[in-house]
Amino acid sequence: MTMQCVLLINGSTYRAEIAAEDTLLTLVRDVAGLKGSKLGCNQGVCGACTVLVGGWPVRACLTLAADCTDADIVTVEGLERDTIGVRLQRAFGECGAVQCGFCIPGMLMSARALLDKNPAPSLDQIRIGLSGNLCRCSGYRKIVDAVRLAATENAA
Amino acid sequence: MASFHRPKTTQEAIALLAMPGARLLAGGASLVAMMNAGLLTPEAIVSLKDIEALRGISVFADGSVRIGAMTRHRETAENRELHGCFDCLRMAAGGIANPVVRNMGTMGGSVSLADPGADYPAALVALGAMVELEGPTGRRRIPARKFFVDWYATAAQPQEMLTSVVLPSVGPGVGYYRKLTRVTGDFAIVSVALCLTDAGGVSIAIGGCGPGPIFSDEANALIAQRPGDTGSILKAGEILAKLADPVDDVRASADYRRLVIPRLLASAFSIVHENWKSAA
Amino acid sequence: MNAAALQVGRRLPRLEADQKLSGRARYTADLDLHGMLHGAILGSPHAHARIVRYNISKALAAPGVVAVVTGADCPDGKMGPFIKDEHAIAKGKVRFVGEPVAAVAAATPAQARHGCALIEIDYQELPAVLDPAQALEEGAPLIHDGLAGYEKIYDAGSSGNKCCRTVIEQGDLAAAWRKCDVVLDQEYRTQPQAHLSMEPCAALADIDPAGRVTLWSANQSVFRVQANVCECLQLPMSRLRCLTPHVGGGFGNKMEAHVQPIVVMLAIKSGRPVKLVLSREEDFEIVRGGHPFRFRVKTGAKKDGTLVAREVDVLIDGGAYADDSPGVLAFALRMSCGPYRFMAAKAQGAVAYTNKLRFGAFRGFGQPQIHFGCEQQIDQIAVALGIDPLEFRRCNALRPGETWFGGQSVASNGLKECIDKVEIESGWRRRSALVASPGKKRGMGMGTTAHISALLGTGAIVRMLEDGTIVLNTGATDIGQGSDTVLAQMCAQTLAIDVAKVAVASPDTDGSPYNWGTTASRVTYTTGRSVVAATGEVLRQAKDHASEMLECGVADLELRPGGKIGVKGASGLEVTFQAISRRAHWRSGGPLVGSHTWVYSQDTVDPKRATAIGNPARSGVFSFGALVVDVEIEEATGKVEVLRAWSAVDVGRAINPQAVEGQIEGAFVQGMGFALTEEMVWDGARLSNPTMMDYKAPTSADTPYEINSYIVEAPEPDGPYGAKGAGEIGMNAVAAAIANAVSAATGVRLNSLPLTPERVLRALMEHGE
Repeated sequence: MTMQCVLLINGSTYRAEIAAEDTLLTLVRDVAGLKGSKLGCNQGVCGACTVLVGGWPVRACLTLAADCTDADIVTVEGLERDTIGVRLQRAFGECGAVQCGFCIPGMLMSARALLDKNPAPSLDQIRIGLSGNLCRCSGYRKIVDAVRLAATENAA
Repeated sequence: MASFHRPKTTQEAIALLAMPGARLLAGGASLVAMMNAGLLTPEAIVSLKDIEALRGISVFADGSVRIGAMTRHRETAENRELHGCFDCLRMAAGGIANPVVRNMGTMGGSVSLADPGADYPAALVALGAMVELEGPTGRRRIPARKFFVDWYATAAQPQEMLTSVVLPSVGPGVGYYRKLTRVTGDFAIVSVALCLTDAGGVSIAIGGCGPGPIFSDEANALIAQRPGDTGSILKAGEILAKLADPVDDVRASADYRRLVIPRLLASAFSIVHENWKSAA
Repeated sequence: MNAAALQVGRRLPRLEADQKLSGRARYTADLDLHGMLHGAILGSPHAHARIVRYNISKALAAPGVVAVVTGADCPDGKMGPFIKDEHAIAKGKVRFVGEPVAAVAAATPAQARHGCALIEIDYQELPAVLDPAQALEEGAPLIHDGLAGYEKIYDAGSSGNKCCRTVIEQGDLAAAWRKCDVVLDQEYRTQPQAHLSMEPCAALADIDPAGRVTLWSANQSVFRVQANVCECLQLPMSRLRCLTPHVGGGFGNKMEAHVQPIVVMLAIKSGRPVKLVLSREEDFEIVRGGHPFRFRVKTGAKKDGTLVAREVDVLIDGGAYADDSPGVLAFALRMSCGPYRFMAAKAQGAVAYTNKLRFGAFRGFGQPQIHFGCEQQIDQIAVALGIDPLEFRRCNALRPGETWFGGQSVASNGLKECIDKVEIESGWRRRSALVASPGKKRGMGMGTTAHISALLGTGAIVRMLEDGTIVLNTGATDIGQGSDTVLAQMCAQTLAIDVAKVAVASPDTDGSPYNWGTTASRVTYTTGRSVVAATGEVLRQAKDHASEMLECGVADLELRPGGKIGVKGASGLEVTFQAISRRAHWRSGGPLVGSHTWVYSQDTVDPKRATAIGNPARSGVFSFGALVVDVEIEEATGKVEVLRAWSAVDVGRAINPQAVEGQIEGAFVQGMGFALTEEMVWDGARLSNPTMMDYKAPTSADTPYEINSYIVEAPEPDGPYGAKGAGEIGMNAVAAAIANAVSAATGVRLNSLPLTPERVLRALMEHGE
């Protein structure tokens, strides 16, 4: 049995026929065509699928699309609409935090939410705040540097 | 393909639970993960998202606290009202998985799953918490000690749902929770939950070492009789280790878990020592 | 040339950073083609069995299913980088639990999986062997009956379940042992490690009416994909075009084939495009892992602190197929003397086939394993002789001009500077003053290492477009380590233009020059040399034009920043690249194209100094490194935590220092996972932890911020701008340094990895705490 689903993603409305089992990740990638959010494990561990729902970072792979009908969803593609998001992207680039890039969309979303709740995080708070996003390439240091740089620019 | 429902009240949800193959959707952290892995194929999914009564943390005049089933781990971890002995639960919530999953997982979902490696069971047992259930025949409360029956099995009846968890007031004191893991946020190899009241009450529970939390009145009494005495703490730890029924798994061996229980207990006590008035 | 024109040495963000940051970068799973089908794989339930009969009728009849392939559909072609022992899909036999035995293409992924579940296969189970030592015993069940007849590219010494063997010997070992005042002889074990790239393996194959296949896949080499697929499917290579979308990490996992042959089979069978993306579980279970080692190390020294002799004997579990195991064995043995002088040494070992997932290339290529034993023994001998372990290493360190074990020359050697750097930065001499947190013990440990950069074949084609901008094509896959950016910087530097004027072509077996692959830390040096040479050729052609246009001799010309060539001493007399290129395109000479290809061919063993049996490695040009770690151990639990690290690497010349640091830092953390928490665990024949829930790599909360990386530059004479490799070396000594730190802190030596709390606590208790 499929049902109608209306999702608000990055300020745009998407309509689709979905199954109850369809995850938000499937909707974002295959219906909205927003391929930035990635499937890394489908178990909520790796963080590559992290998106913002109502401002909070969640795992799109563990969220049922049907449960999101009145939610405000932001994916990495939506960051360009947001000053802090753009600062983060630029900081990541400048600090050399981008290697293979697969973790980056999810990492940016977690970092964006972190700066929202804690605009001036310490190094330790950044490390813990991003602990839900695995990166195999960077060793995390330059990612932490990037978040700190963006936070400093926000404060300025 | 499953049907999807978003009831507005607990009664509606309970009625929907009666459908064949119906599963409750709280945070999705466990349910959807199992669906993705092909381990579960519900015929009906009942989302609890819209049920007002299941949300929020309420503190009562007598000092007891009610935590709604749909309270996210993050909310529990950040709630300032959970202090003193209730720090035990707050610390447990703050160490679950990672900050993102803590926005999703719920008290009700996690407690109902009764994963022996999870964090709430030991903390709730140490705090003498009560689990509130509601079903077609009405409401009831079960002490947490009796709720975690076996591996992934609770005392809830098939059509009952967990509506809240209640922490009875225990008066001022210190609460503590620590889990030993391979990496941050992993399921526990061993976890220690302490509830130590200024009035001299001692309540310990060990997680990750059996089908349910390990709890011993004898161990509690040993320490209560001689607060702060290292010998009593180690002896209590040994009692708990003997009661433990751990397994070998990818995180650690059963032998190691038994070995570490008294040591972790001693370490926990040494950390809270300064703040525990009874020991002073 | 003014400083503004300098591209080499620039901390440049990745050229493709914006694409990745905006979510627009396309990885294989993100690609969709019209009419595309989805593939799914059926894995073997048995560790070892003959395939007796397939019944695919129910699967073919299932909704949405368009094609089913099995071993009956593929020819007898076999692939393998050293020993060609592997079919496109299990054929005749299955050799490990989970081995792909059939595959389905259907309209949706769910329908494809459902189709797989309907395939019925009759097996005749065979006894399985899971332990490499048992596999080598007389009478063990034979995993590859046809081993003797398999094509091998070198003298592997294969027989029974022995996949290969290697022996390298130098000097008079017997005499050397007699000279030793202290001798250590111990055994070590290391565990299998999963690569855990964030992107699971995936491939998408399209087929045109003429039967030509275009294949996109997550890869470390489009050319290895092409060779592997065509060898096992017995297709002419010209019939397969391999391309690369963005790749989400490799670390060795994507160097050889994964699902590409199967996806091509499905595309050919169905006549439609087919995409197959592995689940995370499948990525763990069916691709490849990093080798577990069992080895013995014997080290001897004189009481004055001079290292004299070393002997190493290694047994490697290769899993069900040879893959890169012969290379890992030979390389680990060749590097087993470490960057030190020994009077004599012998390194020998074997790889055994077992009925488990194949093990293959993994960052370090056997070095993280071998260092765990060798670098601990260095420490132990130093301590036994009452010499500081850093000083001991400094005295025995290979000096510039000295040769490597086997006799290969080492042209540039910055080891001394690396040791000096970490000594100063870490405060090594004051380490006894370190204060541990309550309930913990604290200590510092170190290790030194070397790695190679030059290996096999590569090329570069550089073209100047009509307007003077540049296209660079090397066929090197950027797997995230930054090769596109680094190679573009070299090209831009050679032409004194900004790197923004250089477009890097995506690897394409149709259009790119051959590149063996992104592996072995080789792209910066091996491909970089071709880039500089090919760009130099374009510059030479440009100067020829300029000399005609400016009516002067080539010797009177100078390259000016910003794409200009002018007459020396006459600042107004110059022509732009654009003008040159227009002339070349439309008037005279033809468009400017420079190309260069080469194969690194230096032998690794000098027959005048050493002997080797079964040594396929032809690699060289050495990078060096030194590492110090500061570690705490919790006495109650045995849990080890790294507090700080200092890693200095001699990379010859850092073309992009930020990228080099990223490699050092990332390699450190992957090494830390290897040391402390990562382990693929088999429960009988089945991999018991093929999930991220159960297989644990470090998160940012487990990783110290203070991973300090230092770049040392001892320029390699024939390196591109002096550069050497940097990708793997940062991982080599991590587990050993941590083990040395644990020993310094607690007095306890551990000979097995990972250093789990359990292992450490038991050792502490035995030691009497």
